[in-house]
Amino acid sequence: MKASSNKFMKGALLLSLSVFFGVAVTVNGADSATAAKGKTNAAPAKSEKGAAPVLDPNDPASLIYLDTSGKPAGIGDPNKPASQSYKAGQGWHPQALSAAGLPKDKYGLIDWAKLVRENIVKPKPSLDPNDEEMPPLKMDILIPAKGDFVNDVIYPHEMHTYWLKCEVCHPAIFVPAKGSNNMSMAEITKGNWCGRCHGKVAFPLTDCNKCHSSPKKAASK
Amino acid sequence: MKKWQVLALALLMAVPATGFAQIGKLKLDSKVDSMHKAGVGPVIFPHDSHEKLYKCNDCHPKIFKEKRGESGISMKLNMDGKFCGSPNCHNSPKAFPLFECTKCHTNVGAAK
Repeated sequence: MKASSNKFMKGALLLSLSVFFGVAVTVNGADSATAAKGKTNAAPAKSEKGAAPVLDPNDPASLIYLDTSGKPAGIGDPNKPASQSYKAGQGWHPQALSAAGLPKDKYGLIDWAKLVRENIVKPKPSLDPNDEEMPPLKMDILIPAKGDFVNDVIYPHEMHTYWLKCEVCHPAIFVPAKGSNNMSMAEITKGNWCGRCHGKVAFPLTDCNKCHSSPKKAASK
Repeated sequence: MKKWQVLALALLMAVPATGFAQIGKLKLDSKVDSMHKAGVGPVIFPHDSHEKLYKCNDCHPKIFKEKRGESGISMKLNMDGKFCGSPNCHNSPKAFPLFECTKCHTNVGAAK
């Protein structure tokens, strides 16, 4: 009885191993076959274009414009490179910006607030020369963090009103009354509140302490 | 009948035989009152998926003490580059960032 069961065990193990490897081999075979097909399909398409410069989105050497995450600026499909004119309107050239010596934060992102504070850029308030510039509003708002172990947020109106008009945020995004906006990080990461801009056109949420900068009693623990 | 039973048993045993005793998932809830105020639930830390990526002494005992509740993890300290937010971990491009509440906390947005 024992000997026979041992035999069965060995047989079953062998069987399972052979099944496993057999499947792996066939999958590999299928993969390489499809890859070969893809190659043969792709090759004539490239030669057809001829003299026109081939923009391969997966080849970093042929990339001109990248978006903020370093991926090719385009229509989101790497198999369909965007046209030159489309690319010209998208994103910026990261190498050109780094060569310009713009200040960066510790995550390697351009610190636009520092650019303003150190007078490196002085954008015009409006294209219309008769437009009056509204001076930035010097008002810091303390937004208490809900948890006991997270620093409170200091929201600077000054830097925001340097770039934006009041109506950009009030009253559609934020009700202009202290404590009447029930914000949460979970909602911000979903693109509400601060997340309407931060993480999209303004610096991302990665550096928590950039906003959570006012120490709490419990937070010091 | 018996043949098939043995065969099925062997097939079942053959796959997980390589694994060893794992810690699995840890529930981190020492600061649960504060978490409820912030509208999040306890953290479920997937020790098992970290085991696959790192050696024990990558994290223990330098970053995390090997006793539950002894390390004193808090979001504030994570943000300051300790514990989960250590410079090579969830405060770097190597792992998802700290602001993705739902990746660690349960019941995000439940209270209030």
